Amino acid sequence: MRSRKAVAVLVAPLLGLLSLAACSGTGTSEDPEAASLDQDWSAADPITIDVFDGLANYQGIQGGWFGKIVKDKFNMELNIIAPNVAGGGDTLYNTRVSGGDLGDLIVTDKGEKLDELVEGGLLHDMSPYYESMEHLPKYDAAIQTLNESKDGVYGFPTQLSSVKPTEPNDDVDPTFGPFLRWDYYAELGYPEIGTLEDLLPVLKDMQDAHPEADNGKPSYAISLFKDWDGNMMVMGKQPTTLYGYDEMGFVLAKADGSDYQSIIDSDSQYVRALRFYYEANQMGLVDPDSTTQNYDTMFTKYQNGQVLLSWWPWLGQSAYNTEQNMAEGKGFMIAPLQDQKVFAYGAEVYGGEQVVAIGSQAEDPARIAAFIDWLYSPEGVQASASETMGAAGPVGLTWENGPDGPELTDFGRKAILEGGADVPADWGGGAYKDGVSTLNFSAVLPIDEDPTTGYPYNYKLWPSYQETTANPLTEDWSEHMGGATTTMEYLRANDMLLVAPGASFITPTDESEIETARNQIKASIVEYSWKMSFAKDDAEFESLLAEMQETVNGLGYEKVLEVDMANARAQNDARVAVANEFG
Amino acid sequence: MSLTQGAPREVLGARVPPGTGPAGALTGGGRGRRRGAKPHGKTSPYMFLVVCPFLVLVFVFSYLPLLGWVTALYDYKPALGLGGSEFVGLQWFEILVSSRTQLEQIGQVMVNTLAMSFLGIATSLLPLFFAMFLNEIRATWFRNTVQTLTTLPNFISWVLVYMIAFSLFSTSGLVNTTLHDWGLITVPMKFLDTDQHVWLTMLAWSLWKGVGWGAIMYLAAISGIDPALYESARIDGAGRFQLMRYITFPHLLPTFVVLLILSIANILNNGMEQYYVFQNAFNREYIQVLDLYVYNIGMTGNSLSLATVLSMLKSLISLALLMSANAIAKRVRGTSII
Repeated sequence: MRSRKAVAVLVAPLLGLLSLAACSGTGTSEDPEAASLDQDWSAADPITIDVFDGLANYQGIQGGWFGKIVKDKFNMELNIIAPNVAGGGDTLYNTRVSGGDLGDLIVTDKGEKLDELVEGGLLHDMSPYYESMEHLPKYDAAIQTLNESKDGVYGFPTQLSSVKPTEPNDDVDPTFGPFLRWDYYAELGYPEIGTLEDLLPVLKDMQDAHPEADNGKPSYAISLFKDWDGNMMVMGKQPTTLYGYDEMGFVLAKADGSDYQSIIDSDSQYVRALRFYYEANQMGLVDPDSTTQNYDTMFTKYQNGQVLLSWWPWLGQSAYNTEQNMAEGKGFMIAPLQDQKVFAYGAEVYGGEQVVAIGSQAEDPARIAAFIDWLYSPEGVQASASETMGAAGPVGLTWENGPDGPELTDFGRKAILEGGADVPADWGGGAYKDGVSTLNFSAVLPIDEDPTTGYPYNYKLWPSYQETTANPLTEDWSEHMGGATTTMEYLRANDMLLVAPGASFITPTDESEIETARNQIKASIVEYSWKMSFAKDDAEFESLLAEMQETVNGLGYEKVLEVDMANARAQNDARVAVANEFG
Repeated sequence: MSLTQGAPREVLGARVPPGTGPAGALTGGGRGRRRGAKPHGKTSPYMFLVVCPFLVLVFVFSYLPLLGWVTALYDYKPALGLGGSEFVGLQWFEILVSSRTQLEQIGQVMVNTLAMSFLGIATSLLPLFFAMFLNEIRATWFRNTVQTLTTLPNFISWVLVYMIAFSLFSTSGLVNTTLHDWGLITVPMKFLDTDQHVWLTMLAWSLWKGVGWGAIMYLAAISGIDPALYESARIDGAGRFQLMRYITFPHLLPTFVVLLILSIANILNNGMEQYYVFQNAFNREYIQVLDLYVYNIGMTGNSLSLATVLSMLKSLISLALLMSANAIAKRVRGTSII
């Protein structure tokens, strides 16, 4: 009896282990033969691939016209898995990665993530396919740089470009800027705004003159949201970019390397921004929903005209500047602060933050490689580039090549500029907007030249677009901005731009101890930043600031800051080097 | 072996097929053979097989996961697996005790956890009274309606509860809009994004969700009380409240005590869903209970190893609580639980 018991005691754990072992995967399937990419994939068996896409804001099967193009070309459906939609930070990434299968097609960050995926054997070596690719080898330098210390080709860089790294990566709009409801600003007689804090009285007057939006709901000068909070409150960082700063961990680094600030210092630009929100809130300018709403709710408010200030053109303008509104002279335009030096990202010679890769468990890696190569072809770029970056869509549907360069068709104008249109059935049907590529992926920068037209991919840079889109709003703005036609043109002409050369700098991986401290500190900083913005009075603001400094210092802020300072300086060295090499 | 005396092994073994439980042995054996079946049931080697599946379950779900504690000694990175991650020894334990701020944070988390558990325990009499008063309602249709309506919230997920809370109490929600329209307030009141009365509002939500469900057990217990007791009390001239006071209440107390002990055992397990959906930058200091803190560090903050250390802390505290409960029981009742 005793021995039976012993056997049972031994067997039970084994059973348990067996049942657990059943959960894990079957190891990697290496495919030594390099299948040629040059074949007719439309005749191949239909497959559905899982796309783990760190950029996507949609989860599910890609449908609509883009889905149809992919289906027709590759007989493949894309099942988009979007951590942005799932929420919870890296939870989804970690869960899938520990299961040994992140996805068949992967869009993720270079640096730490790419490295650990390669080391953990989760990526497929694409070198056998790379040789027979048609479009990607054009960017060989960037691809080699990305895969430098790796034994093969595991990732392809995104946002590639042949523009100089010292030139901004966008020619129409900056990434950041103080965009106001120009029509209300005009009513006040275009008051001059000296510096950040001078915005407040202007906003106050604008809000007082228009306390309600067209839909009858109250309007507020400022509306905040928390979804993208990271190292700091994301809305707190935006005003600092107007003075040429960008974040490197807890450091605000100026684009030209002339200043590095610790964000928690009482006199830092970040605390200045928090104080700006605090004062705005005291003046009743901040939407009380700010603390609980998410980006989508806020975006709807912009669409309804309930918010008067936007730090990003791709928020205020894309939500509110519809053709109809602009024809009535309504819309968001930049109202410059006299002392601004807006931060601009330079074109990244070696590609942007994200990389695209194939998962080691992929069923048909050759087909996925062919798909990736297609994404970098002119046709692929036109169809798949992200919409906010000015993608024109597929040729023949939304635009065509005329005698004076490319121009949007009537359908294209309706679909892209006038708020939407239904796609003809032979293009897949459905609303145009629903059929846009949910990959949200820019293989090359939209300012790069499309070899099939000789003009940039971004339709906003086509002469045909610039001729036909003049409207009361832009005309009025242009008149007061010394005749500038685009925001970038104005900023350049007035020396209000600070370009950080695109060095494709990869932030080194943190030591585990630093990383843990960083994550705890992040949470504290974000928490206190919100409390400070909504403080009752000056005394509470100051005491919260002191409390935040004490808390994060207690959590090891000093050590993390040291690392960030070193990284910020290294980034600047890389910027200087790349500017000297290509500039 | 002493218990099998007098019962020949072969006979017993033949009568009870392997794998049959004690219930089978009793009903199959019939009344007359019961005396022989009982000692057999406790000793047959086959009976071990009956227990085996449950032992395996307990092992797999209660002990095997403890292997995960080894994560606490590594700098665990999911992509590399445990084998590829760096062994760091007691680094995470040291980090936890290295700074005063860190300890203060954990202290606050423990205070939150215990406070909300004790508030829950302190209000555990509410379902009892609710059941008692509900039972006194004469109109059956009304009683049933109330019972159904109060039980329903238990089946609503916390995410949906938060949706309800949000549409009622957000700055542009129903309550604020109504108060504003009536001219009672000019600035919206902050119900959700405030650090005032967090524990109490959380308690209120869990009561709203749980009281009706908690009353079911007591309603069942009430229907089990002998009607003769009520009849004789009524003959003695007792009124309705006296019936409740002297008959219903005392009869419900044993059930209450059992539930109370169970809830004390669960004192650290106050879950995280409720607090997870309600948390924001303004109330985080008071809403973060242990489970939520572990989640925030491990999943949101991406420090799985540190989160493991924190969850070990939970096991240690549970163990300490169990030991002290045991000591109290020993002193009060003279016997120990374990």
